[in-house]
Amino acid sequence: MAILIRLWKGSSVGVAHNRSKPHKAFVGALRGLALIAKLCFFMIRLENVSKMYGSDMPAVRDATFDVAKGDFVFLVGPSGSGKSTLLRLMNRQERPERGNVWVAGRNINEMASSQIPYLRRTMGNVFQDYKLLPNKTVFENVAFALEVIGKPKHIIGQQVPQVLDLVGLSGKEDRFPHQLSGGEQQRVSIARAFVNRPLILLADEPTGNLDPATGEGIMALLDAINRTGTTIVMATHDHRVVNAMRRRVIQLDRGVIVRDQERGVYE
Amino acid sequence: MIQRVSYALRETIASFRRNMTLSAAAVITSAVSLLLVGTTFLIQRAFDNLLVQWRGDVGMIVFVRPDASADALAFIKQNLESQPNVIDVKKLTYLDKAQSFEEAKRVFAGDPTTLSLLSVETIPSQFKVVPKTTDPTLVRSLADQYRTLPGVTGVSLAEDEFDVISTLSSFVRTVTIGMSLVLLAVAVILIWNTIRTAIFARRREIEVMKLVGATDWFIRIPFIMEGLIQGLAGALVSCGGLWALNRAWTSGVAGFKAGTGVSSLVVPGSYVSGVMVALLIIGAVAGGVGSGVASSKFLDV
Repeated sequence: MAILIRLWKGSSVGVAHNRSKPHKAFVGALRGLALIAKLCFFMIRLENVSKMYGSDMPAVRDATFDVAKGDFVFLVGPSGSGKSTLLRLMNRQERPERGNVWVAGRNINEMASSQIPYLRRTMGNVFQDYKLLPNKTVFENVAFALEVIGKPKHIIGQQVPQVLDLVGLSGKEDRFPHQLSGGEQQRVSIARAFVNRPLILLADEPTGNLDPATGEGIMALLDAINRTGTTIVMATHDHRVVNAMRRRVIQLDRGVIVRDQERGVYE
Repeated sequence: MIQRVSYALRETIASFRRNMTLSAAAVITSAVSLLLVGTTFLIQRAFDNLLVQWRGDVGMIVFVRPDASADALAFIKQNLESQPNVIDVKKLTYLDKAQSFEEAKRVFAGDPTTLSLLSVETIPSQFKVVPKTTDPTLVRSLADQYRTLPGVTGVSLAEDEFDVISTLSSFVRTVTIGMSLVLLAVAVILIWNTIRTAIFARRREIEVMKLVGATDWFIRIPFIMEGLIQGLAGALVSCGGLWALNRAWTSGVAGFKAGTGVSSLVVPGSYVSGVMVALLIIGAVAGGVGSGVASSKFLDV
């Protein structure tokens, strides 16, 4: 706000002195406003992003889109169309050859690698194959995410049961992953992704290994998490969940965005 | 902070258990190589003891009776200086009785019986002579001449006592240093490989850690500690070995007849402990370097 006032004051001073100056000041003020809006409003922003694997075939070509805070976005398209690559660009598991990726107002391509762990603490990741640690219990798997970022024991003891309750796994804290169904394992992985209350949740085919009924349960859970204000970007080629949810859909075809639609369906 | 330290310790111990055989191999290899390094140091020192009398190209020592008069001493000195073509007069040095006694303490380190018979009063003083010529017959004839001088109790020639030992010493030095360097490299490679295996065994865990935002150092430190402990454990074992070896050697040397020169091959205990400290440091550094390189190379998820 202070910046806006200063910009506005700057333009009024310009009027007093010179006829050509107020125009410049006005443009400057607009630019400032746009930047502030961008920082406040967009959680993720991609600008002309291209990513190559090898020399011939780009995985993502010239992708530009914004994801607003609290948005729920589906990335759809056939296998190899670049959905997973887009997700990997957002948590800097990959870096683009061209273009910029902004997350929570920061250009993550220019971020020092020592800062990346702190970026990742603001995002949760959910995968098709859950990526649970087989030798740890449900509780330990979720606690692990807090433990390795140095959270104290009493916080862990408080937050883990809370999030396990949220995903509907209370009473199963001491089970090991192999003693759970696929849907339950995915709930553990969502609990692990969400236990640190991230701003963003990136989900890569979270229902890919599950039957339709179980998948619906997972989508209901993601929807509930989205309603807490968490921005969700989910890659999928499961039409049923996309069509049932009616949220924003970004469709990819061989690395190019071919459709970006509010309240879309899979097609 | 305490939590992080306890995490690192727990992970290190768990990883040790998982990788028992490889860890044991790494520890034993570093122990053997460090034992060899330590032995090299001791052998070096033992030979040094033997050669301390002859340091600085000394080729001949003229021993003077402890009760020799000042005139006799001056006469001997004058005789030595009268041969500037054979003797390097500038390098001619005289060790008085006190200095000679200090030197004897080192030469007879392993022969306390002989040492106890000596005292500052009864020890011969000595002229150390550096010959200019390389012709041995010339030096030898000069030695024969000095033996007859009044006050001289004996003349020793370097080539009689020294040549075999000196050759042996440099040979043994080269071989042991070479072998210990090779073995040390093997130990580092083994530790490196153990850590690589440990990282591979835990790649899923590491992937998750990276995704939830663990810092690189948080992930790396347990692995580096594991390598460091392997190196240190190997060094500890080698210190035990070195201690046993030196003890056996010292008691073995005591069995030799006095005056054969073998007794001076004994190394004092203080020097051995110095070598042990060096071995612990070398072990820890080798382990830390091996695991540090491995963990920064293979943790790039």
